[in-house]
Amino acid sequence: MAFGKLWVLALRDLERNRRRSLLALLAVGLGLALLILLNGFVAGIIDGSLQNTIRLRTSHVQVRAESYPDVKVSLQWKDLLSDLDTLLARVKAIPEIKAAAPVLWAGAVLSTKNDSMGLQIFGIDVDSDVNAPIREAMVAGAYLSADDRSGILLGKRLAESMGIAVDQSVSVTLVDADGNPQEALFTVRGLFSTGIVSYDDSAVLMPLAKAQSFTHTDGHASAVLIFLDDKENADAVAAQLKAPGLSVQTWEELNRLFLQLMQTAMGFYVILDVIVMLIVAVIIANTLLMSVFERFREIGILAALGMKARQIMQMFLYESILLGLAGSVVGMVLGALAVWYLSTSGLYMGEDVASVGGSAYALSATVYARFVPSQFVTLSLWTVAITVLTSLYPAWFAARQEPVEALRAL
Amino acid sequence: MDVIRLKDTTKTYRIGEVETRALDGVSIEFGAGEFTALVGPSGSGKTTMLQLIGCLDKPSSGKVFIHGEDVGDLNANKRAELRSEQIGFIFQFFALIPVLNAYENVELPLLLAGVPSTERRERVTSLLEAVGLADRMQHRPNQMSGGQQQRVAIARALAPHPLMVLADEPTANLDTANGEQAMQLMQKLNQETGTAFIFATHDPRVVKYARRVVQLRDGQVVEDHAAANGAGA
Repeated sequence: MAFGKLWVLALRDLERNRRRSLLALLAVGLGLALLILLNGFVAGIIDGSLQNTIRLRTSHVQVRAESYPDVKVSLQWKDLLSDLDTLLARVKAIPEIKAAAPVLWAGAVLSTKNDSMGLQIFGIDVDSDVNAPIREAMVAGAYLSADDRSGILLGKRLAESMGIAVDQSVSVTLVDADGNPQEALFTVRGLFSTGIVSYDDSAVLMPLAKAQSFTHTDGHASAVLIFLDDKENADAVAAQLKAPGLSVQTWEELNRLFLQLMQTAMGFYVILDVIVMLIVAVIIANTLLMSVFERFREIGILAALGMKARQIMQMFLYESILLGLAGSVVGMVLGALAVWYLSTSGLYMGEDVASVGGSAYALSATVYARFVPSQFVTLSLWTVAITVLTSLYPAWFAARQEPVEALRAL
Repeated sequence: MDVIRLKDTTKTYRIGEVETRALDGVSIEFGAGEFTALVGPSGSGKTTMLQLIGCLDKPSSGKVFIHGEDVGDLNANKRAELRSEQIGFIFQFFALIPVLNAYENVELPLLLAGVPSTERRERVTSLLEAVGLADRMQHRPNQMSGGQQQRVAIARALAPHPLMVLADEPTANLDTANGEQAMQLMQKLNQETGTAFIFATHDPRVVKYARRVVQLRDGQVVEDHAAANGAGA
């Protein structure tokens, strides 16, 4: 039997009941579009969180003293970097580096007349590009200057929740490197809003020099934060910077826990994907079965004319292949449009949702979807595959009918 | 010289607990070029006999020979091949494929039998001309009357130059005029091509054209005689 003719029959059969074929096609298309959107959304959240964490906490490569603790903050001189100038010179000599600056971390309590809060102090190099994200995130007041001895920056959310306004005085208390409590009054120079809720709620920024003197760690820093032109160079750059007494970590190493958690989360999303595909599969199987039952007698006629069981099965399979392919094209277009929209306009999830997970997930209040071409292809192929697989039963059912049985059906 | 031979064939159907014997130990032969009517009331077994002759079904016991070959030995695929080459069917409900036009419907058995394209075109066009539908080749069944559809079915049945054409109540859905026309057409083609025509019918319009009448009752042949006229009225 001419191979082409079975395809012609399949195509015409789909045209026979246009509404039904179109609905089935739409089911496939919408299912695929949903999968693409979901996966793009999740990819966007993960990627966004990672970018946020890199930008505001870990940077691409981080240099610390070897003994600096992993999960705590330490101000003891033995745990801090000294000889900063030499180190920075070494770092900036590497061409792949875009920006590098030292930072001092300290835990502190900020108090107003009515309220107090435990926060983290970041002693930053205010002029460095490393802190450009903060400069860009200023929403009130003014940014810091390097020689400011009494100014701090706060997150807008934090300020609002504590009732602190720009130019207001607040008290900051901490335990310094010698183990002595220190207290001082600071003026809030400005407020920032990075959009990353966990950061905005917990960070107090002041110039590095002031932070060092306040904590009695002059000439020292907790870490040097390094940003690269291309984050793929992180391992190479880290290797160059290794030296005895130093721990040099890449963004991948620093975010290992986060990345692993994300992998696990993705595993759960696969279940969601499977459910959507199952729904599509059921719709397709139903459509095809209806088609088979409607054409019982016709199948008998074809068999009477000499069409073999295998050819009958092929004919129905071709129908579902055509449906699957057309549906996938529709799905890819719809999915691409949805992801494109979400990747530019973003989806406002609200700050309450974004603060879930605390500082472990650096979520923004608005999330953007991410376009992942390989996912597109994989999901589309799976959709076609599912469509064809679910049609195997109806096709086989059609083919196994004895001509006599089929002809008898009226 | 017999082309089709049924030897002691029995066909029983089981529906639930009840066993029905549609054909009961029937032995009969059919020769080349016959124009024969199988008559009898409903349930007499004429459709079943047609199904066995046409290799649509296998007997519960007994044998069916086509050109001396025992078709009981053939598997489903081989029987399909045999049908596509040697046997034409005409059904009560015309049974054309609705998504194919007249040309494509007549062409279908030839495609299934693997006939090359030039020969296909020749046969289909000449057959559609022979049944008077040359001007309707591109029309689909829903664009044709009942009479026209049945003529397409006749052309389709003859397309593979089969040994025989089996027709199950071919005029049941046709009015008098169309019924006569169909019968005359089939008679003419029978004489021109030498293809055997075997009808299962209880329509007297059909019976009067037959040159042989086989009467069935309760699954058995009760009468089998040559008809005097076979020329219609």
